[in-house]
Amino acid sequence: MRGHGWKWLLCTPALIVLLLAASGPLLIVAVYSFLSPGNMGGVVWDFSLEAWFRVFFRRDIFEPDQVELNTAHLQVFWRSVWLSLQTTFICAFLGFPTAWFIATRPRHTRTVWLFLITIPFWTNLLIRTFAIQEMIRNNGTINAVLLWTGVIDSPIQMMFTEFAVLLGMAYVFLPLMVLPLYAAMEKMDFSLVEAGYDLYASRLNVLWHVILPQVKPGFIAGSILVFIPAIGAYVTPRILGGGRTMMLGNLIALQFGQGRNWPLGAALALLMLVMVVGALIFYLRVVGRNDGVRRG
Amino acid sequence: MSQEIEITGLNKSFGQGAAAFHALRAIDLTIATGEFFTLLGPSGCGKTTLLRIIAGFEEPSTGVLRINGKDVTGLGPDKRPINTVFQSYALFPHMSVAQNIGFGLKMLGKPKSEIKATVAEMLQLVRMEAMADRLPSEISGGQQQRVALARALAPRPRVLLLDEPLSALDLKLRKEMQSELKRLQTETGITFVFVTHDQEEALTMSDRIAVMSAGEILQLGPPQEIYNAPVNRFVADFIGDTNFLRLRLRVKAVAAGEAVLELPGGKQASARLPASISPPVGSLVTAVIRPEQAEPTPAGQGEMQAVVASATFFGTDTHLHLLLDDAQGFVLRRQNRPDQPSPAPGTKLGLTFAPGALRVLED
Repeated sequence: MRGHGWKWLLCTPALIVLLLAASGPLLIVAVYSFLSPGNMGGVVWDFSLEAWFRVFFRRDIFEPDQVELNTAHLQVFWRSVWLSLQTTFICAFLGFPTAWFIATRPRHTRTVWLFLITIPFWTNLLIRTFAIQEMIRNNGTINAVLLWTGVIDSPIQMMFTEFAVLLGMAYVFLPLMVLPLYAAMEKMDFSLVEAGYDLYASRLNVLWHVILPQVKPGFIAGSILVFIPAIGAYVTPRILGGGRTMMLGNLIALQFGQGRNWPLGAALALLMLVMVVGALIFYLRVVGRNDGVRRG
Repeated sequence: MSQEIEITGLNKSFGQGAAAFHALRAIDLTIATGEFFTLLGPSGCGKTTLLRIIAGFEEPSTGVLRINGKDVTGLGPDKRPINTVFQSYALFPHMSVAQNIGFGLKMLGKPKSEIKATVAEMLQLVRMEAMADRLPSEISGGQQQRVALARALAPRPRVLLLDEPLSALDLKLRKEMQSELKRLQTETGITFVFVTHDQEEALTMSDRIAVMSAGEILQLGPPQEIYNAPVNRFVADFIGDTNFLRLRLRVKAVAAGEAVLELPGGKQASARLPASISPPVGSLVTAVIRPEQAEPTPAGQGEMQAVVASATFFGTDTHLHLLLDDAQGFVLRRQNRPDQPSPAPGTKLGLTFAPGALRVLED
């Protein structure tokens, strides 16, 4: 460490930003979750576990001692996890061939394809989501074309369904899967694929035994990049899903807005954080381990 | 001996029309069962392309490839009884040594017990028993080389293709693997097709060598023939060291395939003249003589007179760089002996050589 003692100073600006913008607010949220809600929003400085209780249970309006499971909340939890898992799966399924296509192009044309993949990032998410809405609403483009060509008699209800939310999220998060997959494939030694064929493996076996294990780090990185923002997605489920397909992000926002129950919102937000971190650790333990190799 | 590989009228070009690159032209080749066959040539001569066509990674533009009498043109590499040792080894990094070796058998759907037995046998064959559970990243380059060999041999292919497998090894290890390869080939009886740009490697290991340049096979034959009777200047230059001399042709066809050349200094010597060329008497021709096939004599004796310009020490021998009477350069290889110090620059000496050492070549 001779003469390098001052070098930690180089990261102080970043540390300050992180402290102010991440750890500080997180601490405030944690504190709020143990306080009581104010009548007009905000918090009253009375310690209470009510918010945490309310995350899972519901009290009867007239008889507060009568308690039942808060199925509405649990449903939102489940929907968030399930939709995010589906989104991750769809992105992986669509992203793999895309990334493979790009990685097998000549070097100079790859940049063009990667550039095309990132184009959606240039437009505001809100605008892109409204554009999807324009496509799939009852008198939107798709229904109009289908009605005009006589394929259907009455418009297909696509808005405010889980399908709409899935479509929107898969579209938004697809590049986040393609890019790490491409990075993993680009590093891959393609003579391994030839070695696979040479050793009598069929196309499917080469994919399964040779290519997939090589691009696994890309899948892991991509899944994390897609799943985490998906589970807290706000704009997409809000616009395309409406009230019927509410996700965690919307539920939390609701508590800080019309619900006027900041402590409950804070508790829900913390719970989401715990869920994401827990899922991440589980995922890395199960998928990230070096399978199949016995140590002597 | 039966024919293992039979290639007829094979051409390969990349690209279309005027921009097309002809990687291989009119290749006709048969390789016998159990032969150690080497494709030798500088990089870009088409030897790797030819190997990849035999393996099935590339399709020939025209021509037919038969393996054991069966036309395999159009069959994928997974349908050919051929395995490859890749230049980069291409070991599967996520599989252990044993899993790598067993992969081919597993893909062929062999029962687990058979795979286990064969893997054990292969590990023993390449002396890697202790490394069975290691990952490729945990063993040395030479060990990876052995695993790549074992993996390719495990499915008992009819033909083993080796794409410059020793080029990444250091000299000592390379020498070791050369004899190891020869041993494995003799023990297994499998036909080896070996690609290299290293002429010494080719000479020491092969039963037959095909010297390639610019997509064509220039000469095909056993190492001794390639070395002693190169068909043209390229082969003579590429295989071993050679002295090229410009000499005047004095007499043609004293006997069949013989000629008399005028040496620097005026003496005449007989030389071999290939039947394929017929230069006019009195013209200058290119003649070659290997550095070790000439011997020094006291000055004034021998066929030619020379002056030592410089000497390079090589351990077992010394290369004497000589100037002949007509100022042409000549390299003489002289074995080092403690009782015979190498002559100092400026020393005059004579040169003599055995009949048949001097050959006229096509320019």
